[in-house]
Amino acid sequence: MFQKHHPQPVFTEPVQSNHTADDVETVVGPSVKVEGDFASEGNIVVKGTVTGSVKTSRMLTVENGAKIFANVRAENSVVAGGIKGNVKVSERLELSETAQIYGDIECKVLSVAPGALLYGKIMMKGISLVDESEKKEDKKRFLGKIKTEEEMMPPPVI
Amino acid sequence: MTDFGIAGKIIRLQNFSDSRAIIEEEIKRGATTIVIVGNDETFGHVLSRAATCEILFGFLPVGDDNTIAGVLGIPVGVGACDILSHRRKVRLDVGWFNNRYFVSRLHILPSSITVEYDEKFQATAKDRMELVVCNLQPFEWESVGKDRYTIHPQDGKLEAFLRPITRQGWFRRPIFEEPSIFPFEEMVVSARSPFVVEADGKESKETKIKIKLARKKIEMIVGKERRF
Repeated sequence: MFQKHHPQPVFTEPVQSNHTADDVETVVGPSVKVEGDFASEGNIVVKGTVTGSVKTSRMLTVENGAKIFANVRAENSVVAGGIKGNVKVSERLELSETAQIYGDIECKVLSVAPGALLYGKIMMKGISLVDESEKKEDKKRFLGKIKTEEEMMPPPVI
Repeated sequence: MTDFGIAGKIIRLQNFSDSRAIIEEEIKRGATTIVIVGNDETFGHVLSRAATCEILFGFLPVGDDNTIAGVLGIPVGVGACDILSHRRKVRLDVGWFNNRYFVSRLHILPSSITVEYDEKFQATAKDRMELVVCNLQPFEWESVGKDRYTIHPQDGKLEAFLRPITRQGWFRRPIFEEPSIFPFEEMVVSARSPFVVEADGKESKETKIKIKLARKKIEMIVGKERRF
């Protein structure tokens, strides 16, 4: 009854929100246009337009409606928009139904959904059907072709 | 505070008090720690001027609008004294623009601006856009579906949030697009006509600003529950 009233310390929590995104990643919004060498250490999400080059050591997500006019390099990538340029992915590349790629693709694992549009060469590492000797022969044939083309060229006029 | 053995001189700040001059004067008199008492505005008001002072800073959040305290892991109220007494020291990065420091955040009101990041790429939008650069204060926005988003900035880099205006709503109220997010170390914002820059509660008009990260500038007492 005679005890002193000690008020309990009030620990107010920071404003609770529906969403928190502590791992901040690079996001290009739908009406934003990025020009130049677009490089990031983290994940990149493209919803708008990018021209120049795109490079990330992690995940690249190209959302539906996004347009990239650039050569692309990433570790993993999920594409639902359009890319005009060569795509080099060191691990997995996933193309969804709305994806459009006009350029060569290089990756380890490729997943293409029905409806995705592709125009270009696809190169995937790890093929064991071809021997080393065949590869060397291919190289020789390729080099020979270059030499013959050089021979065919007329001598420069001095 | 006296229970924890924390005692010292109390200085009340006025609107036009130069916190840097006051702190330098106290350092000369032998002060070793400066404890800022107040909310985000007080924190920004003191440290935007006093970031160059070589002294340990503490923070005692009191009242409303205390978002920075959460990032530093300092609870509002009596719990903050416990954090102060533990003296867990960390060096914090500070934002810098046009010869001024900012600790909480920098806000450019919607204008036709061009933003160049790290001298590598530039971002533009069709219409006017708003730019918020967060250092310690979290960035909050409400999406079209009225969902609230909060992004807590990390130490070690600045985050720029670009929000272009998509259309005008009722009473010419601008409706913003979802923000584009770019972590960066150096950024140049330019425009043909002057734009309003608000940094730590102070407004100015500029046509070109360079924003940089000043690494490990402030020594600060932080809590265990800090977000970086």
